[in-house]
Amino acid sequence: MAKEIIQVKNLKVHYPIRSGFWNRVTDYVRAVDDVSITINEGETYGLIGESGSGKSTTGKAIVGVEPITSGQIIYQGVNITTAKNRRKLNYNKDVQMIFQDSMSSLNPRKRIEDIIAEPIRNFENLTTDQERERVQELLDIVGMPSDSLYKYPHEFSGGQRQRIGVARAVATNPRLIVADEPTSALDLSVQAQVLNFMKHIQQQYDIAYLFISHDLGVVKHMSENLAIMHRGRLVEIGSRDDIYNHPMHIYTKRLLSAIPLVDVEHREENKKHRQEVEQEFQNDQSKWYDDKGRVYPLQQVSGKHWVALPKDELKQEEIKEKGRD
Amino acid sequence: MSEKKENTSAKEAKKKKISSPTSSFKVVVREIVKDKVALTAFIVIVLVLLFTFGGSLFLNAEKVTETNIIDAYYGWGMNGHIFGTDDGGRDILNLLMMGGRNSILIGLGVTAVCEIVGLLVGLVSGYYGGNVDAVIMRIVDFIQVLPAMPIEIVLVSVIPNYNPLSLVGIISLFGWTGTSRYFRAFVLSQRGRDYVLASKTSGSSDFKIMFREVLPNITSMIIIDVVLQIASNIGIETTLSFIGYGLPSTVPSLGTLIGFANDPVNVVSRPWLWLPATVMLLAISLSVNYVGRAFQRAADARQREN
Amino acid sequence: MWKTVLRRILIMIPQLIILSILVFFLAKMMPGDPFSGLIGPNTDPKQLEALKRQAGLYDPVPVQYAHWLKNLFKGDLGISYIQHVPVTSLIADRAVNTFWLALITTIITYCVAIPLGVTAGRHQDEWQDQAVQIFNYITFAVPPFVFYILGIWLFGFTLGWFPISGSVSPNASGFFGTIGSQIYHIILPACLVALISTTSIVQYLRTGIVDNKVEDYVRTAHSKGVPDNVVFSKHILRNSLLPIASSFGSVIAGLLSGSMIVESVFSYPGMGKLFLDSIGQRDYSTLTALILIFGVLTLLGNLLSDIIMSIVDPRIRIK
Repeated sequence: MAKEIIQVKNLKVHYPIRSGFWNRVTDYVRAVDDVSITINEGETYGLIGESGSGKSTTGKAIVGVEPITSGQIIYQGVNITTAKNRRKLNYNKDVQMIFQDSMSSLNPRKRIEDIIAEPIRNFENLTTDQERERVQELLDIVGMPSDSLYKYPHEFSGGQRQRIGVARAVATNPRLIVADEPTSALDLSVQAQVLNFMKHIQQQYDIAYLFISHDLGVVKHMSENLAIMHRGRLVEIGSRDDIYNHPMHIYTKRLLSAIPLVDVEHREENKKHRQEVEQEFQNDQSKWYDDKGRVYPLQQVSGKHWVALPKDELKQEEIKEKGRD
Repeated sequence: MSEKKENTSAKEAKKKKISSPTSSFKVVVREIVKDKVALTAFIVIVLVLLFTFGGSLFLNAEKVTETNIIDAYYGWGMNGHIFGTDDGGRDILNLLMMGGRNSILIGLGVTAVCEIVGLLVGLVSGYYGGNVDAVIMRIVDFIQVLPAMPIEIVLVSVIPNYNPLSLVGIISLFGWTGTSRYFRAFVLSQRGRDYVLASKTSGSSDFKIMFREVLPNITSMIIIDVVLQIASNIGIETTLSFIGYGLPSTVPSLGTLIGFANDPVNVVSRPWLWLPATVMLLAISLSVNYVGRAFQRAADARQREN
Repeated sequence: MWKTVLRRILIMIPQLIILSILVFFLAKMMPGDPFSGLIGPNTDPKQLEALKRQAGLYDPVPVQYAHWLKNLFKGDLGISYIQHVPVTSLIADRAVNTFWLALITTIITYCVAIPLGVTAGRHQDEWQDQAVQIFNYITFAVPPFVFYILGIWLFGFTLGWFPISGSVSPNASGFFGTIGSQIYHIILPACLVALISTTSIVQYLRTGIVDNKVEDYVRTAHSKGVPDNVVFSKHILRNSLLPIASSFGSVIAGLLSGSMIVESVFSYPGMGKLFLDSIGQRDYSTLTALILIFGVLTLLGNLLSDIIMSIVDPRIRIK
């Protein structure tokens, strides 16, 4: 059993909604509501959900750039949700981030050299020569020509920029990288390329990824364990096999059925399956979501597999699953 | 394969774009040279600067403001005075040089103070947001609804040991608010950008992010604001001097010269007293503002290119 | 909507309090006290001292402030040091003149600005627009007092079309004669001030029209076959006039604070001229009162702007 690198416990990020005459807080947007996940060393953990499901907020909270409402994030036995603890640990030396929009994540006014060197300068004491060597080496790792050093971000294509983002994230030899939809803004061919670089780096340096995506298809090739998020809460967590072959929550099923298949022979069957899933979702809203439309708390199904269902529903679902097998 | 393609396309893109931020200055120069009016305005500014600052080099402040009643009210070109003399026999040409220089210096001084204070306040307010921002903006709101000019006049007349530096301070007291509001709005929009978050995760301090990451992204806005501010601050100084509450009477100013027109006799029969200064102020205001707007257009054009 | 207005007024209360404190300390900074105006050759210094003590001039500052505020609410702004009359009556006379000047300026401003803005917006980038832009650029760039000087020189002295000082001719007789003379005196300064205050309104209006022209709702109207003129008047213009309506309050506030310069150039006996005269004569009690009035009027002008905005633009209202 692999050792865990980071534990998120009951993480909540709520934003107040102000209204009324005195502008008082009347309600909260529950962007992230009671999320707990554990990521092991060197693994890729997939966090999947639609836009607005709170997956990016979770990622940002883990990196420490999103103030949290409550909960704990444990790294090396320390709760790093306070800036003080993060500083003490040099937390961001070990935990880095790759952003979705490569253009906006690279400062347009800085050279690539300065962009990649920024974390090195902050966390390590290197001479100018050592630093340049290190930056060169990093560019090499992500397959960028060495003359990129003196260029500015807008002189590169989207895929190249994202690789620069990867290089910056790896610069301080981190243990965990939160990758927030790193490929969703890229063309398909370039997506594969960036993913391959990420995989390659993972094997070489034993880095854990929290891979945030809305695309179950992409994550399938990356992650051993997955968590599905919806409306700020987890609906299902489990191993790749659990999620892809034995999904229990309707939301997971819907996401899976939405993966486009190139399977001409079974086209009609697949279509029927999609319609069935949609039908099930439409008919039994109350079964999957409580009266406020929120997701239920997670219940354990087996080993790693947890799903957000009321207890009695869970039993029925299990019986159904077995019957199907 | 796609790797190669990317590289060549990047190279092509590079050829087309005048890309790197360091050359933004070149873009501005190109934009101004292309625009004939802006070029003229720029030349006018250079000439005015040469005339006022260059001319003042050869002048002695005490001599210029020395009164000699016998020489009072010479007309155009009389007795070697090209623009004549005023009620104290002072040479208007000399007063014009020194006055122009002083008015420009006050404008520059006020702009420097306002830009620095406004920039700092705008950065802090916009970057931190939340309660810090709310408190600062309430203060800015309040200063902006105060009647600036009456208060400035009162301060000018009650401050002990009043000198040109006090004037800079008094005008700046009200001037920084607009600038800070302008920068705050922009910093606020940058705060949530990924590059700021990336800097945070790279371990950079807030201070470093504000000055090393965000600030370089607003340089073109700063330049535009500085140019327009200079024009408007020269306007404020000359207005105050015009009604007699600007620069002290021993320090020449364009406003004081134009102030001769407050006397109906001067308006009709002694135009040399106030007309040259009026023309010069017109030239300064129009050309500086025009160059400021040309900068603005250049910056907008560059934004479109990117 | 009433909630918005009420809240906006509540925000003004602390502003008024701070303004009063500010003015109070500004007054303290000025030399002299309320009795300087009473000093004559026959004043007994001891009696004066007793009077001062009685009036609380030696009390702690907060007490003095409270006292000053109490008088303020009673409408007592003190006695002019120089004219030896209550400041309120001194100001009241002048306020009437400034009011008429501001009113006529506002009317001219809107009468000129709206057609100009509409022309520029409709004929975007054509010669009409460019002409308006040049006009706008000049009035924006040049300090207002330069226009006043050039205006009085050209129209007052050289051409002799308008009087160059005062608010009414001494020879004017009869009700209509007086009114006529007053308007005659106001026209030139009002036009010159209007020249400057049109700038921002024209700019807002033009930008509004240009922006609205390409909005989807305008395209929809066009594609439904609505005639161009109707689209313009019913859709574009109506929406572009919103910011203009709200600028009304700030225009008024701007006129009041700008009244000083124009009244000084035209020797027009309004509040601005009174302010400059008072400072020249070191009449500090009048000055303090005038600053307070200017401040309150500016605050009210901004209040008016926000209230008008909340009436015409439903998006600003609080639910």
